[in-house]
Amino acid sequence: MSLRDLYQQYHEQVEFLKIYIREAHPKDGWWLGGGIMGKMLKRGIPKTATEVYDPKTIEDRRSVASQCEESLQYGMHTYVDEINDPVSKAYAAKPTRLYLIGLDGRVAYAGGLGPYGFSPAALKNAINAYLTSMQIESHPEPLSGD
Amino acid sequence: MPTTTHYIKNEKAWQKKYNASGPKAGDLAPDFELADVNGNNLVRLSDFQGRKPVALVFGSFT
Repeated sequence: MSLRDLYQQYHEQVEFLKIYIREAHPKDGWWLGGGIMGKMLKRGIPKTATEVYDPKTIEDRRSVASQCEESLQYGMHTYVDEINDPVSKAYAAKPTRLYLIGLDGRVAYAGGLGPYGFSPAALKNAINAYLTSMQIESHPEPLSGD
Repeated sequence: MPTTTHYIKNEKAWQKKYNASGPKAGDLAPDFELADVNGNNLVRLSDFQGRKPVALVFGSFT
């Protein structure tokens, strides 16, 4: 289950917001693009960028986010966190994380921290469970009469 | 030049600092307002309240 599949399957029932946050492995930081690791990355996840520097201004960040959106083509709109990372910090989101927010504004699903806890399949299960609960609430099963 | 160990240590410190206060299932989701990649089309999380559930997908290019 990829994020693209998830979006295509549920985008009419769920609003998907891709939030671009600080680069996890920029070339001027914890870079994974060199050596054997770089070769493995390029082979295993060819759309992952390895030559990106950590944006220092919001304009640079938007520019990289735009390249990211174009390359990954999840289908969902990308929004860009401010340069001091307020949303990323509020959601403890770096390097990657998934959430589902319910109609009541409460967290219905809080995914684990990426990359190991990043699971589109788990988000799918959470979406299914949430949508099912919504149907039950809006169309409760009639009480059995005697 | 910082080593990989230095970066891992920094990441762990960041995660330890913010994980504790990050929202858990059942918590009210922190509201935010962000612009798109062109700096336009502001979106506010609370605008979807009562209208549509929202999936938040956090990540970067690397």
